[in-house]
Amino acid sequence: MTKGDWRLGIDIGGTFTDFAAFDQRRGKLHIHKQLTTPGDPSESVLSGIPVLLGEAGIGIAEIDSIVHGTTLVANALIERKGARTTMLVTAGFADILDIALERRYDMYDLRARYPAPLVPRRLRIEVGERIGADGRVTVPLDPDALASAVARLVADEDIEAVAVCFLNSPVNPAHEAAAVERLGEACPDLTVTSSADVIPFLREHERWSTTVMNAFVQPMFSRYVARLEAGLGDLGFVGSLAITTSSGGCLDPQTARRYPIRVLESGPAAGALMASLIGRRTESENLLAFDMGGTTAKGALIRGGRPLKRYDIEVARIHDFKPGSGLSVKTPVVDLIEIGAGGGSLAGVDARGLIRVGPQSAGADPGPACYARGGGTPTLTDANLALGYLDPESFLGGGMPLDRAAAQAALTREFGNAFEMQAATAAWGIHETVNEQVVRAFRNHAAERGFDYRGATMVAFGGAGPLHALRVARKLRIGKVVFAVGAGVMSAIGLLASPQAFELLQSDWVDLDALDAASFDRRFASLVQRAAAPLDNAHKGARNGFAVRRAIDMRYSGQGYEIEVVLPDGGGADLLPRLPGLFDECYARVFARPFSKRPIEIVNWKVEVSVPAPPGVADYRPVVRRRAGKRIGARPAWLPEDEDFVETPIYDRYALETGDEITGPALIEERESTIVLGRDDSAVVAASGDLIATPAAVEAMT
Amino acid sequence: MNRTIDPIALGVVWDRLIAIADSILLSIVRSAFSVGVREAWDVACVVFDREGRSIAQAGLSMPAFIGTAPYTIEHLLARFPPATLAEGDVLATNDPWMGTGHTPDLCVVRPVFYRGSLVGFVMTISHLPDIGGRGLTIDNREIYEEGLILPPCRLYREGQPNDEVLDILRANVRVVDEVIGDIEANVAGGAVGEQLIGECLDEFGLEDLQAVADGIVRQSEAAMRAELKSVPDGTYTNRLEVEAPDGPVILACAVTIAGDTATIDYTGTGAAVGKAINVPLCYTRSFTGYAIKTLTTPAIPNNQGMLAPLRITAPQGCILNASRPSATGGRHTVGWFIVPLVYGALAEALPDRVQADSGMVSLFIVAGARADGREIATQYFLAGGLGAMHGLDGHHTTPSPTNNAVVSSEVWEAETGVRVAHRRLLPDSGGAGRWRGGLGQEAVLSNDSDIPVTVSLFGMRSEFAARGLFGGRSGALREFRLDGQPIPAKGRVTLGPGQTLTVREAGGGGYGDPRRRDSAARAADLAAGFVTAEGLLRDYGDKPRKGV
Repeated sequence: MTKGDWRLGIDIGGTFTDFAAFDQRRGKLHIHKQLTTPGDPSESVLSGIPVLLGEAGIGIAEIDSIVHGTTLVANALIERKGARTTMLVTAGFADILDIALERRYDMYDLRARYPAPLVPRRLRIEVGERIGADGRVTVPLDPDALASAVARLVADEDIEAVAVCFLNSPVNPAHEAAAVERLGEACPDLTVTSSADVIPFLREHERWSTTVMNAFVQPMFSRYVARLEAGLGDLGFVGSLAITTSSGGCLDPQTARRYPIRVLESGPAAGALMASLIGRRTESENLLAFDMGGTTAKGALIRGGRPLKRYDIEVARIHDFKPGSGLSVKTPVVDLIEIGAGGGSLAGVDARGLIRVGPQSAGADPGPACYARGGGTPTLTDANLALGYLDPESFLGGGMPLDRAAAQAALTREFGNAFEMQAATAAWGIHETVNEQVVRAFRNHAAERGFDYRGATMVAFGGAGPLHALRVARKLRIGKVVFAVGAGVMSAIGLLASPQAFELLQSDWVDLDALDAASFDRRFASLVQRAAAPLDNAHKGARNGFAVRRAIDMRYSGQGYEIEVVLPDGGGADLLPRLPGLFDECYARVFARPFSKRPIEIVNWKVEVSVPAPPGVADYRPVVRRRAGKRIGARPAWLPEDEDFVETPIYDRYALETGDEITGPALIEERESTIVLGRDDSAVVAASGDLIATPAAVEAMT
Repeated sequence: MNRTIDPIALGVVWDRLIAIADSILLSIVRSAFSVGVREAWDVACVVFDREGRSIAQAGLSMPAFIGTAPYTIEHLLARFPPATLAEGDVLATNDPWMGTGHTPDLCVVRPVFYRGSLVGFVMTISHLPDIGGRGLTIDNREIYEEGLILPPCRLYREGQPNDEVLDILRANVRVVDEVIGDIEANVAGGAVGEQLIGECLDEFGLEDLQAVADGIVRQSEAAMRAELKSVPDGTYTNRLEVEAPDGPVILACAVTIAGDTATIDYTGTGAAVGKAINVPLCYTRSFTGYAIKTLTTPAIPNNQGMLAPLRITAPQGCILNASRPSATGGRHTVGWFIVPLVYGALAEALPDRVQADSGMVSLFIVAGARADGREIATQYFLAGGLGAMHGLDGHHTTPSPTNNAVVSSEVWEAETGVRVAHRRLLPDSGGAGRWRGGLGQEAVLSNDSDIPVTVSLFGMRSEFAARGLFGGRSGALREFRLDGQPIPAKGRVTLGPGQTLTVREAGGGGYGDPRRRDSAARAADLAAGFVTAEGLLRDYGDKPRKGV
């Protein structure tokens, strides 16, 4: 084993792969960014590492560990490029994936479309077996019959992966386990996934849909990890590799290969991790992470230093990005706010005769009108360019000049007729409509979770985040906005804060009245045992540094919606009498009023076992060459208070020094974005290099 | 912001009001005890301005309620003029002719005050777990059997519960705690709405909602009129038969498009009947408005403006304008047919927008006890296939025109002890067509306990299938069997120990001549088993092919 001082975070996004090398001992951080190689993303990882090491002046032997995030799994699901998969399913239930949710997600759109199941109907095999709701076997399984049925299909259809999906398996997984074992013997080349192993959650459609996705991406993901490990070996890397999950924890390669659905998408998780790092730097417990990129904006809430999490997410939406038109996944994820608005979002006049932005996006090709590649419909980026917030010459560090006249022409074309509006007024309308979309999403999300954001800190990043952050913060009455140094590779830095962690959710319905302390303790002991096992690979069975977090989903008997109650430390004897009170408290936080007399049920049991990332990352200081000339000019930019353009000073972010203060209106340019300070917004450069801004209206109020 | 509202601010505040309605609705769904609310989303939230014009609704509201709410508020305000209302008052009614057409739905209205002045109303509607009487069954003959009717009344007075009214409720319903709990959820939702509307007015510097409401209603009405104007003028008619316990009932309609207005008249529709399937006019208007909206302005949030260009009439005493004391508990079993009736009428004028008839859904009300003695009082749903449209096959097992959510077999078994033996798509059940109707499904429920369970059925399309359009064929009929023996689609059955109930859900109708169906689509259907080789031969004229 190496004892190098350096750790490496590498995040593959759709366009760029970000690198961050951190020196644990000295706090130094080197960063690098390059284009992702879509054919085989491991290529960009392996070619980028030597570049970064060269810049840092270190050898690969000094790298102790690599934390890796990737969008590979999400992309495979969106593009439906996965393994030929079969589904073994309880007899009588093969059609559950087609019957699906029996629910329309849009009441008025008769043309709403629904995603086709990943496993075609003819590739599903019904298996004679049945386990009752109470866990008792009512129809025994015949493993040999099952194995020969699968062998036939493998031969005829070139099957690579199997999803074993039996009814009531969260109550009793014996049949699924027996099927997995028998298939392992009969067809050793197949990858086999079982539903109670992927997510022992009681609702067959959601569980099976998730299991099928896991199976579908498993062979591809497994090959990718193997290639990556081999390539790293060739570079001389002998440290440990970890892969970050959608919930922000990281897994050893073996566990990640078993549960690729858990690494669905690391980007948003990395964003939330970055925000919690910034929270530690600025001593803020509660934060809003706000990331706006080219097609969407994403947000996450961090309470007490921890990103909020949940157990469902939807991927690969196929109809106007509408919720309900994608594949639903039951897996631990950062509790993400998704907003269908980013730089490329198309703006237009909707059926109501009002400004509408998104969710359709111009994408990269043809892109916004200002790219001058044939895009004729104005986008948010066109609006921000017309408003003077973006510099046509320095977009992407000057790598891509923008055509402001084309942006203005597109705005006039789209809105001139409808509203008799000037291009600039329409542009402000677009900008403000998007601000409001973001505000609304944050506000609803926070309200549903009983999160008070008014004293929180916002961390803003992404190509478009800094353009909108202060205006959004004003509307939310948030008093502090942080633009972190190194925001351009924030996901790679965020990965460095990723703890090794494994979460488990087990459905197990119990009336609280019928529960005794011993069985309460037994349930959690067994869950902790199961959740800790994947971490043992990296810790050789020594569990003394493991942190355990326990929670239960509870509901009033007869209600259909459960609420998570995070448990304080203590055993059942101590906790059981306190549970009704804890539940009522959580219930009241969301719904204002508990029904104190009703019987309570426990529905799901949850544990998270984790080992924190090595400390110190929060104090990172990127090594950058400081530029000369802080104020680099001025240009007319729209000032909404004056309803006019005002000559606005421009600053170079990379020339600013600790203690520098700027009062708006001002534009602060970074390579990936521009920070827009409105009138009386102010910003100061902290010792960490972060830019800390205070929105005007909030300051006036306090 | 004192001038007339500009398009930017209008868009922003309009969307905010919709978000407020969504928040209220979600809070009710999550804290409700009624299975109807939490699984069938038998719930709605509508925001009105101070004149009682509907201006915003929650996106996932039950369409039926969205359409009845504007009439309900009129009745409530006629009884309680705005000048008589105080902060903290809560009004309510479940009168079928003023509310949603049947007694279990309670409409709860919170007047919204801002800085001491009335600025609007929040209405929430929930299907209560019980409302007394004989319960929800098709066999009721008069409204008096259908439980308690609360005429417009004050549920709360200046923030204090009106116990005189609540006690009447308590004395009349079966599961008192659940019923009162659900009503409290509605009351709390209204209070949340008042607070959020106040914050919204604060933020945008508005004194009231009127400028915004004017804009919303004006823009929506203009959009609806523009769409109606693009439909060729003329009178378009349709009629269909709906099964009823004592013989089929005729529904007839004439849709007259004249310039930018539409008149929908139901003359020719059969008389009300002595079973609980009669439809009050408010419900007829509601689904008429829904059908027209889906064909013309599906993307515009619903509000009063959409209704202005529509005139909806039905002769007094016909089954679509039933009079007191007709029983109305199962009014949806007839009322839902208004949607395909109107689509069929407008097919000639709007061939690219209409949908062939859908298989619709089955609703089951299940009562009994589990093996462990715990009481069961719940609902079960199964959806048939959607009708096809120009360019789009009907989706399988999807509800129409109402909405609901799947009942997980695992959850169902755990809660009721009634086993689901299987659930399967029914091949060939989708109506053949150039675009195929969606498939229905078969489900078998088996009572493995030694306690009988009562199941109330509200089935439809067991005699009259979902019709196709433009040469598309009908979908398969719905069927119910008890231990394999056919039983009527409507009524109450006992599922004794060891007995099984088989339900075959209806398929959706096809669109266009099946012979013109794309060969790749035929092959895909055959490969997936949505259509069998025999079905392909019979319905599409395909010769059987070797191997697939």
